[in-house]
Amino acid sequence: MNKLTLVLALLSLLIFSTCSKDFLEVEPLVGSTEVNYYQNGNDAEAAIIACYNPLQQEVTNIQGSGQLSPHFRWYFGDICSDDSEKGGSGDGDEPELLQFENFNGTANSKLILAEWQVAYKGIAYCNIALDKIPGIEMDEDDKNRFLAEAKFIRAYNYYTLVTMFGGVPLITEALSPSEYQQPRASANEIWNLIQTDLLEARNDLPKRSSISVSDLGRATWGAATSLLAKAYAYQNNWGSAYDMAGEVVLSNEYFLDPNFSNIFTLAGENGSGSIFEIQYMNASGGNWGNQLEGTFTNIFQRARGNFNGFGFNIPKEGLVSEFENNDPRLNLSIFREGDVMGDRGVFTLEATGFSYNYYNRKYFSNNADDAPFGDSAPNGPSNDRVIRLADVMLIYAEAAWHTGDNLTVRNMVNLVRERARGGNNSVLPDVNGQVMGDALLARIYHERRVELAMEGHRFFDLVRQGRAGDVLRAQGSNFIDGVHEIFPIPAAEITLSGGEVTQNPGY
Amino acid sequence: MKQIYLLLVLMTFASAHVFSQKMDVTGSVLSSDDNSPLPSATIYEKGTANTSITDVNGTYKISVENSQAVLVFSFVGYVEQEFTVGVKSSINVSLNPNVRDLDQAIVMGYGNQKRSKISGSVSTLDSKEITSIPILRTEQALQGRSAGVQVTQNSGQPGSAQSIRIRGTGSINNSEPLFVVDGIPSFGIDYLNPADIESMTILKDAASAAIYGARGGNGVVLVTTKKGAVNQPAQITYDTYYGMQEPWKKVALLNAEQYAIIMNESRASAGLNPDPALSNPSLLGEGTDWQDAIFQRAPMISHSFSFSRGTENSSTALGASYFLQDGIVGGEKGRFERYTFRVNTTQSGGKKFRLGQNINYTYLTRNALTENNEFTSPVLRALNMDPVTPVSRPNGNYSYSNFIDSDIANPVSAIENTFDNYTTNRIVASAYGEYDILENLTFRSTFTFDLSLGSQNIFFPEFDLGVVPNDPNRPSYEWRETNSLVRIENKFSNWQWENVATYNKDFKTGDKLTVIAGYSALANKFENLSGSRDSLATNSVEQAYLDNSLNFAEQSPRSGGGIGESTFLSTFMRTTYDVGEEFSFAGTIRRDGSSRFGRNNRYGIFPSISGAWNLTGKEFVKSNDKIDFLKVRASWGQNGNADGIGNYDYTALVINGLNYTLGGNQQQTNGAGPVFTSNPDLRWETVQQTNVGVDADFYNGKINMVLDYFIKDTKDMLASVPIPGVVGLEPSATNVASARNSGIELYLNYRNNDRDDFTYSVGGNISFIKNEVTDLGEGGQPISTGNVFGSGDFVSFTEIGMPIAYFYGYETNGIFQTDEAAISNAAQPNAQAGDVIFVDQNGDGELDSGDKVMIGNPHPDFTYGFNIEAKYKNFDMSLFLQGTKGNDLYNGIFRYDLNTTNLPISALERWTGEGSTNENPRISVSDPNQNNRVSDRFVEDGSFMRVKNLQLGYTLPKSVMQKIKLRKIRVYISASNLFTFTNYSGLDPEIGSRGTLEIGIDRGFYPAARMFMGGLNVTF
Repeated sequence: MNKLTLVLALLSLLIFSTCSKDFLEVEPLVGSTEVNYYQNGNDAEAAIIACYNPLQQEVTNIQGSGQLSPHFRWYFGDICSDDSEKGGSGDGDEPELLQFENFNGTANSKLILAEWQVAYKGIAYCNIALDKIPGIEMDEDDKNRFLAEAKFIRAYNYYTLVTMFGGVPLITEALSPSEYQQPRASANEIWNLIQTDLLEARNDLPKRSSISVSDLGRATWGAATSLLAKAYAYQNNWGSAYDMAGEVVLSNEYFLDPNFSNIFTLAGENGSGSIFEIQYMNASGGNWGNQLEGTFTNIFQRARGNFNGFGFNIPKEGLVSEFENNDPRLNLSIFREGDVMGDRGVFTLEATGFSYNYYNRKYFSNNADDAPFGDSAPNGPSNDRVIRLADVMLIYAEAAWHTGDNLTVRNMVNLVRERARGGNNSVLPDVNGQVMGDALLARIYHERRVELAMEGHRFFDLVRQGRAGDVLRAQGSNFIDGVHEIFPIPAAEITLSGGEVTQNPGY
Repeated sequence: MKQIYLLLVLMTFASAHVFSQKMDVTGSVLSSDDNSPLPSATIYEKGTANTSITDVNGTYKISVENSQAVLVFSFVGYVEQEFTVGVKSSINVSLNPNVRDLDQAIVMGYGNQKRSKISGSVSTLDSKEITSIPILRTEQALQGRSAGVQVTQNSGQPGSAQSIRIRGTGSINNSEPLFVVDGIPSFGIDYLNPADIESMTILKDAASAAIYGARGGNGVVLVTTKKGAVNQPAQITYDTYYGMQEPWKKVALLNAEQYAIIMNESRASAGLNPDPALSNPSLLGEGTDWQDAIFQRAPMISHSFSFSRGTENSSTALGASYFLQDGIVGGEKGRFERYTFRVNTTQSGGKKFRLGQNINYTYLTRNALTENNEFTSPVLRALNMDPVTPVSRPNGNYSYSNFIDSDIANPVSAIENTFDNYTTNRIVASAYGEYDILENLTFRSTFTFDLSLGSQNIFFPEFDLGVVPNDPNRPSYEWRETNSLVRIENKFSNWQWENVATYNKDFKTGDKLTVIAGYSALANKFENLSGSRDSLATNSVEQAYLDNSLNFAEQSPRSGGGIGESTFLSTFMRTTYDVGEEFSFAGTIRRDGSSRFGRNNRYGIFPSISGAWNLTGKEFVKSNDKIDFLKVRASWGQNGNADGIGNYDYTALVINGLNYTLGGNQQQTNGAGPVFTSNPDLRWETVQQTNVGVDADFYNGKINMVLDYFIKDTKDMLASVPIPGVVGLEPSATNVASARNSGIELYLNYRNNDRDDFTYSVGGNISFIKNEVTDLGEGGQPISTGNVFGSGDFVSFTEIGMPIAYFYGYETNGIFQTDEAAISNAAQPNAQAGDVIFVDQNGDGELDSGDKVMIGNPHPDFTYGFNIEAKYKNFDMSLFLQGTKGNDLYNGIFRYDLNTTNLPISALERWTGEGSTNENPRISVSDPNQNNRVSDRFVEDGSFMRVKNLQLGYTLPKSVMQKIKLRKIRVYISASNLFTFTNYSGLDPEIGSRGTLEIGIDRGFYPAARMFMGGLNVTF
């Protein structure tokens, strides 16, 4: 009897131990978690939209610091190049940006930290989507397209990182706390991931011509292929760049808008020559540091004074003089004194209160387009034109020049010039067959600079073309070859990685 | 070893005569305390089951086998005594109260242990200590009684929680100990009637608490409730008191005339003309004393009944109580009431099988005013309200201030318009069965259910302090156009099933082995349901029900509800081995799993080991007639602190709203994803503690001493520290931080029972604890907490190498006496004569966060309690002091940010010209130098010594009792918080914490009341 009881007691212990695993599995019944959220096609789509979301983020509340930092593509692409200067209310307005403009920026800058954190935020959502969506039972075509979008956005973020910082930690899945401290991968490894992602993405992404109007803004075959072309070009892999850029240009998916002046209007957003744009709208209700649907670029680049802007990104004389005589694009790219700044009035130095002679026109927004409610000022409507056909055509031209296809070079450059001409045959004559060799290359470079002026490309183009040092030093900058092609790794990231991440040479 | 109780009663063993036949022994059992009879004391014949108990008059009768029989006399709370019967047919025994009995069985969690064998660090309180002074909440009984245990009120408002720190603030997260009531982990003990408690044991070191594993890291308080004893005759007690509470201190503030003078000056210094209403200060006189307006005398009442009885096979204990306390602010608006009913029963089903049941029902109801906050608390408002505004206008309507434009509403009106009631219905019921499987092996299975239904009812009535309808000058917080009601129903339901086997083996060598092994499963569930509606038909709280809303708009009813669950599954084992009387060893291991832990760390293992060496038998002790008992002990162990972890913290919630704009017409499209990292590695905080201690008795047990030294390291503390950006999400809490508490605790007691009619004891405890944060994870990012609005910044700072939540701000260095001195100070470009000089610590010519330093430490150097008890004939007296030394407080009771609040009287000593003062700055409405920023100007010494209780009692003599046929009547008068000695300028220096990282910040603290009580204890 006693023994029986003992056995029963032990048995009950055993039974209880065996079901213990389930006993401790308690999932939340209210709200969704990473574990139980991803159930159907709608969830998958929401997961993909979350990947796009950080692309919009230009003013970031830096994790752990409580500080806001603006960080734009044009901060680095334009202001760090020979095209523009910082501007603003003076040297003390965004002083870190001035340091980077002068190539004495430091690793402690929150600008680069914000850039880094936001890129990885986008990557994190892509990694989550790529991890979760395959397990969802849903329409296979949608699933493949969503996964391809995530790969495109991941590649886009890594493209930003590798061009900004060189090799960075290669994160392709969600990290658990013990894995937070990741070493840098080489730039080659990052490029490889970008290429792999984009090659896979472009197989499953729809063509621009096949997506509905309501999906405008999402990644397409053209976006992935174009980014791939740019990635190859950045590595001077001209053969592949030529192939990819050629596919885009010859795909009949994109056409140069006959009116250059259309491109940077609200009506021209996602236009016929648009390959990838970061979408913004003038919705408000948010404010500084919150998730916004609007862009800060408009207000940051608008003149101060009567124009209610902050007056950053001031085009330099050198850029203005780069435009050929009567190039219609000058007026459409840069405001000069006496120009009418939309519905905000005539540009005079008095009206701005500052002595800057030029402002970027491409991201100017009219007062009428300001957000209809809330703190309207920060919420601009303009999409960020990240990749447009002229960019890819000129990459195609550059690749063609490097691969000896001068016919294509001339065709591409002349198509861009023809469009810019706007039907006025007295300006911007075609590049003829006599221009060869370095002179021809110089024509590509020139065309690229004026066509894409103030769109955030120039610094990276100069670096990619290996002439950043020569060009920038020529106008008195401190650029050091082998150092300033990339920016310093944010010091906080080195600390937080426990030293796994190392600093770039020269910083 | 000569214990005093051995001396007190010496029996003669007159004869070794052997009687072969049964004989009867009779006699009485008295308390040596007051020679009152001890009813239901147990008498048993040693080595047999032969038992008897005393009757109402303390007399007994027992038949023994022969004259060699040994009788053992015992009574709860008294020292057991043994006598050999011999030839005596009458044995009268006087039992000594169990002050610090070495043989006393101490409740240790899953079993008891003799005090002389305990190798960990524990403190105990018996029922007498628990009920010796009137306490407001059960946990208050711990205050000042035990070294290393700091109990601080979080508010003086009736029913407010207390913060309890055992051996310091162990974590930057949850630092409250685990309460275990009759073996059941329990959310708080405020539902218990203090009079139902038999004993409380505080497990302080890791080895003692290790049996509670992942939840024992902050120490454990074991509560044992009263049960009936075997063969105990019926005993009924009734205890009551009635008390009156009153505020004991007011902050010296400006009167109306002084206020006007200062305000005019304040405006003038900013180039503004005086407010016309203040332009002639002398006409304003004293004005309103808002402290008088909100403070009042308030009653408190307690009734408590108990009944207990035991037979051969069963026992019953019943308790019922009622407690009421009104607030000294708000009176009934701060009323707390507690009704408790408790039944503890046991039955034996045959020789080997026993059953027991406990059922506790408690009804709590509490009206609450906002406390200790800077926006709506009546105390803060009374301190900040200008004295010019009268409480009411001549027509009887309450008035509003014309001078202060935010937050500081008329506190009297606000109290009247506050209807915030919380009621709790709680049932805790448990049942166990115990079976002796083998002679030495007992198995016990206990099931417990704990159901708590909380209901909150908040009514916001319409009101309008406007002078005329739609008065344009009334501040927005002085009128409410539409009334509304919020109802919240909370249901907490928990169950625990626990199975424990206990094996005891006494070896012939005198060694003793005890092994306890068990497992337990515990599930907690929280559900809530809430609803709110506005536009109720009447403006009366009596008719404030959701269905009385007249707002039928579809969107009008708002409702919500949710659920949270967690589980624990544990196995544990403790082995104790005593080598004779000299050595005791204990080893514990517990394995805890919880649904709250991340999937990668589902189970934690918590080991401990301890040993004690009783040196009493050693020659050097034996030969020293001053030392009666000497034991040294050491322990090491690891516990966990898991109660601060949320149910689902291990996972990441998916948030909607990560939107993107898509389409030709630009539609916001919903995106969803986690924002914070999930943490599959999430686990308990590990508390590792090493303890060494000495227990000693001197001078025939008159002096008892307990000395402990400990080092308590909390590792793996949860903190949200910055994580590498490559992770891509915001950091959730991870197990990264560490802190160390180390300290010395001393308990000393002297007791003199030399005379029968005069006994006294003097005792005290003191503990020194040093607190230091040792790690905050990669990068060591400090944590800022404790935003104080009056200073416009965070006050508390937690960083490596410093105490948790120390005060952090600017050091001051007097007042600029001249404009020249101010101008020459580049770090303060906006300063002028009369402004505060802040120290530019790094000398960089700028005053910024780099110049902030430690300006105060909220942790005391030491805390102490001191106790005197004396009895002379039928009179008794007790005095209980308690205090802290060396802790700082941050005085944030003035809303300087509002510029026009009333000010402390020190404003009269403001700087008025060169040489006027170097203490208080000029007063300026614009304050360009930010004189009121967080600085050492607001840090004050928070040391205090408080006469917690002084009591005088009188027990009616036995002769009277026999006439009225009652066993005992005692009457007493008692005063709590009678005197407080402190230099702190606020209302009360005894300020607890608001969350773990905000310690000692006064934001208009609701002060503890001074209480005068008269009481009666009756035993029937």
